[in-house]
Amino acid sequence: MPEGTTHLAIFNEVDPVAEAIHELRELGIPDNQMNIISGLPYSAEMLGREKSWSMIPKFSIIGFVLGFVLSIVLNWGSVLQYPLIVGNLPLFAIPTTIIVTFELSMLGLLLFTFLGVVWENAWPSWGKKVYRKDVSDGKIAIEFICPPEIHTRVHEMLGALGAEWVHRTEATEI
Amino acid sequence: MTTEAVPSGIPVPHSNDVESEENDIREHLMHDPRPRAELNRMVMESMQVTPKSFWVIVGILALLVAVCLFGAWLYMIMKGMGVAGIRRPTFWAMLIANFVFWIGISHAGTFVSAILRVFKAEFRRPITRAAELMTAFGLAAGAMYPLIHLGRVWVGYWIIPYPNQRWLWPNFRSPLVWDLLAITTYLLGSIMYIYLPLIPDLAMARDHSTGWRYQFYRILSFGFTGAEGEWQRIRTAITIFAFAIIPVMFSVHTIVSWDFAMTKTPGWHSTIFGPFFIAGAIFSGVSAVAMILFIVRASMKNMDYFIRKEHFDAFGKLILVFSFVWAYFYFNEFLLAWYAGDASDQFVWNAITQGPNAWLWYLMLVLNIGIPWLTLWNKKVRRTPWMLFVIGFLINIGMYIERYIIVPGMITVNRFPFQWGEYGPRIELVISVGSLSLFLLLYALASRLIPLIPVWEVVEGQHATQLRRIGKAKVPTVTNLE
Amino acid sequence: MEKEDVKWGMVIDLDQCTGCGACITACAMENNIPYVGETDAGYGRSMPWIRVERLWEGDYPDIVANVMPIMCQQCGAAPCESVCPVFASVHSEAEEINLQVYNRCIGTRFCANNCPYIARQFNWFDYAPHMPIPLNYQFNPDVTVRTRGVMEKCTFCIQRIRRAEEDAKARGIDIQDGELQTACQQACPANAIIFGLLSNPQSQVSHEARSGRSELLLLEELGTQPRVVYLKSLRTQGISIQTPED
Repeated sequence: MPEGTTHLAIFNEVDPVAEAIHELRELGIPDNQMNIISGLPYSAEMLGREKSWSMIPKFSIIGFVLGFVLSIVLNWGSVLQYPLIVGNLPLFAIPTTIIVTFELSMLGLLLFTFLGVVWENAWPSWGKKVYRKDVSDGKIAIEFICPPEIHTRVHEMLGALGAEWVHRTEATEI
Repeated sequence: MTTEAVPSGIPVPHSNDVESEENDIREHLMHDPRPRAELNRMVMESMQVTPKSFWVIVGILALLVAVCLFGAWLYMIMKGMGVAGIRRPTFWAMLIANFVFWIGISHAGTFVSAILRVFKAEFRRPITRAAELMTAFGLAAGAMYPLIHLGRVWVGYWIIPYPNQRWLWPNFRSPLVWDLLAITTYLLGSIMYIYLPLIPDLAMARDHSTGWRYQFYRILSFGFTGAEGEWQRIRTAITIFAFAIIPVMFSVHTIVSWDFAMTKTPGWHSTIFGPFFIAGAIFSGVSAVAMILFIVRASMKNMDYFIRKEHFDAFGKLILVFSFVWAYFYFNEFLLAWYAGDASDQFVWNAITQGPNAWLWYLMLVLNIGIPWLTLWNKKVRRTPWMLFVIGFLINIGMYIERYIIVPGMITVNRFPFQWGEYGPRIELVISVGSLSLFLLLYALASRLIPLIPVWEVVEGQHATQLRRIGKAKVPTVTNLE
Repeated sequence: MEKEDVKWGMVIDLDQCTGCGACITACAMENNIPYVGETDAGYGRSMPWIRVERLWEGDYPDIVANVMPIMCQQCGAAPCESVCPVFASVHSEAEEINLQVYNRCIGTRFCANNCPYIARQFNWFDYAPHMPIPLNYQFNPDVTVRTRGVMEKCTFCIQRIRRAEEDAKARGIDIQDGELQTACQQACPANAIIFGLLSNPQSQVSHEARSGRSELLLLEELGTQPRVVYLKSLRTQGISIQTPED
């Protein structure tokens, strides 16, 4: 259970943010109690953080497979259930199966990729969040949980690195 | 951090005068950064500042949609397909040509947004959303046509595979069912692909608006705050989408072309139809994007900061390249029939090139080949937005004529001269006006609600682009931030 | 009664055909083909299931008319069947002909585009409700009256085939050759149309089809396997319209 209060530190540039993350880690705040909120994507390497693995590619593959299965069920299952001869084509025509299978598999892939993003990000989450509107105007915020013993040192360090301000915050409606 | 070679299109400044050198460089969006807050404000203003004339135009478009699209379509449903101009042997005509045209236009959005993203072309950054919206609304307009042209649209749902007690399923060996699957996949895929990079911009809009707009953006942005996990996952998903939607895009227009190529009709039964249609689609689509960009830039506030002459320049080059590609495929088609085709093939092509409507064919060649090949070499022409609008418009007319020649033109002549026919559109003209109005109406309304510029991508690009001194020259470099 | 391999086929003797058009009228009567009116007919909207093509050959005064009645060829490998998205055009395993299912058709008209013989017709409007009384009494109760938006085509008078099959089954015997005639065959004054079971080698149609008199299958090179065989002896020149002085 993390001890401490939630703080938000606002910076203007990304270089001091990377430094600040390093310093906060040195001061004893673990990585999983830090969150970087920004208006631009910064890769984990830029911020000096560990790359987090995402399940989204797995979702994509599952979606592809489901689409594939659905296409076989629809295409061949429908012919098995009610075979109707149409002129010059065999009942289980491979070339037409390829086309139907491709489309439905890609649909599955795309849909599940989207669902994967939504699921992993726990969207939609319209409740209260730790956030400041400045972030979408270009500021970068570090949200971290600070144990009371190192409050002052953290504030000093962040101030020295050029933070615009550092305050305790609560989750609010955004 | 890796640096790339000088991207094409950004000139290396020659002038010795430092100030003019600076101005040359600042002409490029990527070298003209402004504070993020200002860019956000500019985009919000472009959505919120609406002159009265805009609402007049929207009103007229809505009226046209109601009367010309839905009204005329309802009339056709009640009376029968006979109110259209089709008759034996041209059972497919203008409505299907429209369908191919709109689906073709919709390919440009994915081209700009996915292919240019995969190839890391920096000039795509401000344009992706405007192009992708064109995809979505082009699909909306185009996907109505398979319904409009149905003789019994009230039972048209039978083409959808759903379990029923009579065990009846659609025929998966029919190109029309492939059409249904392909267009559904492409439409859903495009909507999701617009939505994913839009979420951060919706969050920005949420932070900068009040009242009903605030509620609207709050709900649609799903509570996005910009946490690094959210960004990384969106980035992963966008990459997967960009790579995956390209084969879908190719397959959609190929399947539309197979509506024709799978038949035994002379003129339609051609192996080259797949790539030919795709080339035509991207050609007409990119021209349409150039037209839309001109309108957006001219009519919306602050858009001249984001959409600059360099973008029109890039699009001019793309249009020229695709004009070559299209001409290559079309010459292939023509040469085959002319040189070694069956009698029936030759009848068809003779009817097209020497028959009573041959003027249409020549007009198409002038518009699709003559106009781009004569004008788009010139850099000045490419960098003049209104000229690109006119050229894009003429090319779209030419490409529409191409589809019109293929769909009704090639089936009026068949293997039984006693059954050769003619075609002249009747209510199809009204419905065409209606669907064009629907496209414009949807776009106009979207411009009020959806930020047309992906600001985060533009700022990302501006951060990634710098000037580096190599020798005596200041050379632009682009960093690969992903 | 075991199910045999029945295969209905037709032979059209072009040497006998006079181009009179009685077959067209009889077909329209038998199959409830609507009258579309003068304007629509002029616009190309008339819907004859069988048409008589007339091609002029030669220069005046030696002009010759070649006539050829063409209807749905009931192809063995029908291009119209594979493209229908809702299985409204299917192949009958029992009769080996092409079936058009009116109540399944949603009117995409893809089949009509793909038919190389241009043998399919489309209901552009609702014609039947506008038939003034008592003309509606002429409808054949054995045949559906089609609504607007539905494709239709020659069915080899399948209603007559069915009736003959049921009669034969009721009597416990097979269908005899000559027991049933299609409407066009019945009306033809020159006996140019012969219809029957191609699968029965003793039937008249089988005899004619193998008679060795230059039988031709229309558009054979397309691989559609039509069930209609045309006979045309090479010596006749068709119908000439020379004046009596010659």
